[in-house]
Amino acid sequence: MHPQVEIVEADPEADARLLGALADWCDRYTPLVAMSGNDGLFLDITGCAHLFGGEEAMLKDVVTRLAEQGFRALASLASTPGMAWAGARFLDGIRVAQGGEREALSPLPLPALRLDGPICERLESVGLRTIGMVMAAPRAPLARRYGAHLLLRLDQALGGVEEAISPRLPVPTLGVERHLIEPVSATHDIERLVLSLAETLKADLERRGEGARALELVLFRVDGLVFRLRLGVSRPLRDPPTIQRLFREKLAVSKIDADFGFEMVRLAALATSAFRDDQTSLTGRNENAEEDLAQFADRICARLGGSAIVQPRLVASHLPERAVSFTPFRATSAAVRKVRSEPFPLIERPIRLLARPEPVEVAAAEIPEGAPASFRWRRVFYRVARAEGPERIAPEWWLDKPDAPTRDYFRIEDEEGRRYWLFRQGLYGATPELPRWYMHGLFA
Amino acid sequence: MARETFFALRQEIARIEGTLPERLELPADKVGDGSDRHFLPTRAVRLDAVLGGGLPRAALTEIHGRQSRDAGSVAGFALALAALARKQAAAPSPILWISTGEVLHEGGQPYAPGLLHRFALQPSDLLLASARKTEDALWIAEEAAGLSALSAVLLEVRGTSARLDLTATRRLHHRTRATGRPLYLLRQSAAPEPTAAPVRLIVSPAPAGERHTLFGPLAGSLGPPAFTVTVSRSRTSIPATLTLEWNRDEHSFRERQAGSTGRAQDSGAVVSLSSGRTHSAGSSGPGMAQRKRA
Repeated sequence: MHPQVEIVEADPEADARLLGALADWCDRYTPLVAMSGNDGLFLDITGCAHLFGGEEAMLKDVVTRLAEQGFRALASLASTPGMAWAGARFLDGIRVAQGGEREALSPLPLPALRLDGPICERLESVGLRTIGMVMAAPRAPLARRYGAHLLLRLDQALGGVEEAISPRLPVPTLGVERHLIEPVSATHDIERLVLSLAETLKADLERRGEGARALELVLFRVDGLVFRLRLGVSRPLRDPPTIQRLFREKLAVSKIDADFGFEMVRLAALATSAFRDDQTSLTGRNENAEEDLAQFADRICARLGGSAIVQPRLVASHLPERAVSFTPFRATSAAVRKVRSEPFPLIERPIRLLARPEPVEVAAAEIPEGAPASFRWRRVFYRVARAEGPERIAPEWWLDKPDAPTRDYFRIEDEEGRRYWLFRQGLYGATPELPRWYMHGLFA
Repeated sequence: MARETFFALRQEIARIEGTLPERLELPADKVGDGSDRHFLPTRAVRLDAVLGGGLPRAALTEIHGRQSRDAGSVAGFALALAALARKQAAAPSPILWISTGEVLHEGGQPYAPGLLHRFALQPSDLLLASARKTEDALWIAEEAAGLSALSAVLLEVRGTSARLDLTATRRLHHRTRATGRPLYLLRQSAAPEPTAAPVRLIVSPAPAGERHTLFGPLAGSLGPPAFTVTVSRSRTSIPATLTLEWNRDEHSFRERQAGSTGRAQDSGAVVSLSSGRTHSAGSSGPGMAQRKRA
């Protein structure tokens, strides 16, 4: 071994990450980018080439830009994924026009058809060394002897069988982008770009009669790094200043390193839904207020994450911690809220519930099934002045273990007038050890 | 314009001198006419009198709890005020409750069934916002302070924070004033600090009243919740400490008199005790209903 050879361990995960980052970068050419094994990328550029000055220029652009980043890329352009795959690996830089596949493939060796080693060896052992020879051979015996896969690959490369590539990211419904001659790095410049992109997007959304439910801002940095900022909104949205404001909040908290600046910015609507055009009204003050509230909630979520603002919803369960679920805020009108009013409960419940019941030390209860006379919670000693209870809540046997202990809840007031919700888990005498006490909530 | 300048100058002087004359500013012609437009009457006569007509309807109101285990009482009192404000609002809209993660961890999450039972607040009328840091909670509150689509905002923080200084609270106060609905600043286990809130109340728990049954108060029972409220700062500057009881049926506060050993009598109608009388209601029933309709 040569003494100066540097030995580096193979790191397939890092390679995959790098390929993923490259795929992100290729997003600038088309939203349909798919992985090809662990060493290649498919770009479906249907309808995109004219934006880069034609197919030839686009192919050159991809290779040059990758070279600028320090990658030697083999590339080719063809009308089928199979032909493009073969072209990139065996005829670097070729552009195969539709119909030219047969001619281009003929001289290539068999691995260019994306075939496994064993099949290639078996074909070569009977003298079929190039794809042209395979194409010349009768199809029926080939299929019989080497399986349908060989013919499928052949047909896919020639375009006889349609082959779809599966993009690695969800394809946005709508997207608008801008290539910048001079890279931008200042946040307010990005915000201005968002506004102008949102105006373009608005026209597209209006044409479809829709508003965006989820938006994505993609920032392509000069050195190939790609940042994606996503946000969801509580009602369909198309108003450009609102979109700008939401991304302003998002940009304020996202750790985006502009470095040398961004050369391309894209705003995409990932999900859309029907947009109700409201009359901006003669008397509609209330309607406006609803809109304000929805925008407020969106701003909070854009900055602090989707669960920053929630609404409680009652769930039919006897267990206190299961009786409430939290749902993200969705704009509803006052009329809808009125219809959905919950019946007035008869049993008393605390106004605050601890995230999980906290153990409480109870020396002794006055009577075995009664409330404690004193207890210790968070290292503070409390003397019980008054108590009400017990309220027995049985476990939900259809969800919990069949032998889950029952809980006896007590409303307890200490000597200073604080009111607590304590429960005893289990019954005296049911198990060898004494039942445990827990603090579960605070009353007003 | 001149008024604004004057006000700003007075603030500046106050800051230099270290005194804080920030009071609820009312238009001159409205002072003392007792209109409900600027005040939210609590229906507890003495508290309303001490506050000069009630709690300000469009202002920052500070509600302090001395210890973090008073979280239930402090939140309960503030929610009662918020429920009052919501009921008296022209168009009932949701209540926003903002807390920091620390408060939620110490004092527990707001629990919707309890709020429905105690304050008749529907789950759909509640918006719960949480932030990990005090500054984020303050940011949410500032964003919310300018919204008129809420009937009350509660901002709950724990301990003393350098973020909640005079400037920050003044900004909150001024934004709130413009929208015309209250913002309650709940401070759990915090010592009073100079803030711009015109009203500061210190709330601590008080023994609950007794349950009312047909036979009168039930001894040893836990009835309507009670709060000991100390007015530490108000427009009238009258110091006062009172014990208030929340009546959920009437949706109002009432003061518990010192003489009645902490057990207030409910003045509401109570069904009379049954006794050996002749049954006479049968014949007059439908007649009464008709008369009522006519």
